[in-house]
Amino acid sequence: MREKETTLYFGPQHPGITGNMMVKLKVAGDTIVKAETHVGYLHRAFEKLMERRTWMQSFPIVCRICVPEPDPNEENLARAVEEIEGREVPERAKYIRVMVLELSRLAAYFLWMGGQSGTAGLYTVPQWSVGDRDYILDLFEELTGGRIYHMYIWAGGVRRDLPEGFADKVLKTMDYIESRLPEYDKLMFDNAIFQKRAQGIGVIDKDKALEWGVVGPPLRGCGIKHDVRKDEPYEVYDKLDFVVPTYEGGDIWARAMVRRKEMEQSISIIRQVIEKMPGGEYYNKVPTPLNWFVPPGEAYVKTESARGEFGYYVVSDGSLKPRRVHVRGPAYVHGVSLLENILVGANISDVAMIMNSLGVCPPEIER
Amino acid sequence: MYNDKEASKIVDIIKNFARKHSLWIVAYGTGCGAIELPPTMTSRYDAERFGIRGSATPRQADVLLITGYLSVKTLKRVIRTYEQMQEPKYVIGFGSCTINGGMYWDSYNTIKALDRYLPVDVYINGCMPRPEAVISGFIKLQELIAQGKADGAKRYQENLEWYRENQRKVIKNWRMPEYNW
Amino acid sequence: MDKDFINENKTIEEIKNTFHSAEAKLQRKNRIIVKLRSDLIPPFLSYAKNYLSFDHLAHFSCVDWIEDNQFELVYILYSYEKNIIAIVKTRIDREKAEFVTVKHLWRQAETFEREFHEMYGINFTGNNRLTEFILEDWDDIPPMRRDFDTMQYSKENFYTRPGREDAQDVREVITKKSGEKIPDFAKEFSVRKLK
Repeated sequence: MREKETTLYFGPQHPGITGNMMVKLKVAGDTIVKAETHVGYLHRAFEKLMERRTWMQSFPIVCRICVPEPDPNEENLARAVEEIEGREVPERAKYIRVMVLELSRLAAYFLWMGGQSGTAGLYTVPQWSVGDRDYILDLFEELTGGRIYHMYIWAGGVRRDLPEGFADKVLKTMDYIESRLPEYDKLMFDNAIFQKRAQGIGVIDKDKALEWGVVGPPLRGCGIKHDVRKDEPYEVYDKLDFVVPTYEGGDIWARAMVRRKEMEQSISIIRQVIEKMPGGEYYNKVPTPLNWFVPPGEAYVKTESARGEFGYYVVSDGSLKPRRVHVRGPAYVHGVSLLENILVGANISDVAMIMNSLGVCPPEIER
Repeated sequence: MYNDKEASKIVDIIKNFARKHSLWIVAYGTGCGAIELPPTMTSRYDAERFGIRGSATPRQADVLLITGYLSVKTLKRVIRTYEQMQEPKYVIGFGSCTINGGMYWDSYNTIKALDRYLPVDVYINGCMPRPEAVISGFIKLQELIAQGKADGAKRYQENLEWYRENQRKVIKNWRMPEYNW
Repeated sequence: MDKDFINENKTIEEIKNTFHSAEAKLQRKNRIIVKLRSDLIPPFLSYAKNYLSFDHLAHFSCVDWIEDNQFELVYILYSYEKNIIAIVKTRIDREKAEFVTVKHLWRQAETFEREFHEMYGINFTGNNRLTEFILEDWDDIPPMRRDFDTMQYSKENFYTRPGREDAQDVREVITKKSGEKIPDFAKEFSVRKLK
């Protein structure tokens, strides 16, 4: 007998949703028959606003596109502008950028850990991981002046040099975080509740993953080894020694394990960066922001963020302001076309788990 | 010994004392400020020692935290959420963009001044406000409650016409149930 | 130079041999730009996906060239096998903005097309899901078009709190109000001086 179908609105006001968005679910019993993503609650028209801003004024705008991890946005725009202009970046600035990117990746993973285990009902992990994330935010605060939004990376380099004794503080924090990881294993990754809730749920088809546009940890969770840092090394990633962890299965568990292993890699990258960081200038002078004409041209640049490939398509028409800055966040595909498909057949109680494991972040869908 | 007016005053003091120590926030991250709420709530800043905690549904909540800019689409949902909340209810505007539009001052999709659409009790400025600022905003709200000055819900009822007019100006297709208080 | 970009140049050759009217050129390492007539886009994308192993639609963008009265559609394809990004560009008429959908090749294209339908008013034939996506009850011209003035719209529709009229030059206002002096290094950044 066919069960009666009911419509459920998952969000926008819902404790399990990842940000301000809504998934309209058609359910039969508690199995999902059809899912439809509704976004637009966070639409601020960044791309329109950037047409009205100078290039320098665009940097504070782009970092607000992704709240948990703003630095890949700044780095992307900076690199796109540098590519169009042909501007050189000092070696030291590149190392500092990599350090900031990896720190923000770690911070994003800590936040993800809290969200992922919170949706599975493990309420101790958020208390720990969000608290530990604050150690990284404190580093950011000392370096850039801001906890969440940094506006630190800009075309030509970075905004300021490392403060005195900063490298030691970073290393100390890394030691602390590394010592905490086994504790998280005990609490979350080795926890039977989490394993039962994660294994075999939200499976992405490995054969279709590339075609569907899956990127980042969900792709590596399918056992496909692709990482922008290796495929197309930007900044100084080609001089650093790290591996790209993959995991078979394509389910929530595989994605969680990929992220867990990447945290170790990030710690190792940060240590290498601090060891290898050269001296010298930290930025090349850019023109006065109000007189900064970028020559006509276009560039597509991409970064590996904590949730996957972050792409920027930037077009300049030779004026003071960008002609077009179009952002392609990983959630643009993960949150709409992929989510709508893998939610079919899932249980209502797993929706929040699946959304968290895909890293659906609505601000980058609608911008 | 006491007349009715004085008795109700004492009841108010007791009521306000109880209310100010139990502020439950609706779990609605309306903007990017929602990212500073997990640190505020968890081990480091631990807002629960002030009686501040999250609540899943508007019916059980006391505080509507508007964490940042409101797009027109969200404003509609926020108004519905607010009207579903039961008294006592308070609104906190969080971040520069609720005060004057912040960096989205020329955007076609965000409102610029929250207090035209909802009665705001406390504003917290900053982009984004730090957890300390959030807690200090809540303490300010507690002070106002204790003094009986956090009367946003009353203002909303009394000036409903004015608020509705402003809301309808922005929300073009008004398909909303009318709640009666 | 040719030695460094063997893969890229080989791909460009293959494209030129199959599509004679295509303008294909190397942008830099890992990047090629292909310009095509708009009616050749669907066969080209299908060819690129099936024969040139560009199996990942990384990005799909649209640029409004209002001075040419044209929209530029930009498909950014990525080949995991060759590690090349192909930026495939075409131009369509701005007045009668219509194009065909490519969602049968990549299903994520549907999302992009929904966005462009809403933001630019481009109609993608074959995509039956061109409904409201981001905006709600929008009744003006599509907002991402260059001729839409967001400032004007914002002024007309939303109440702006007084006190932001001087946002143009914050530094001078601060100076006036607090009596603080502008340091010499900052004077050259002043708006008024540049004008």
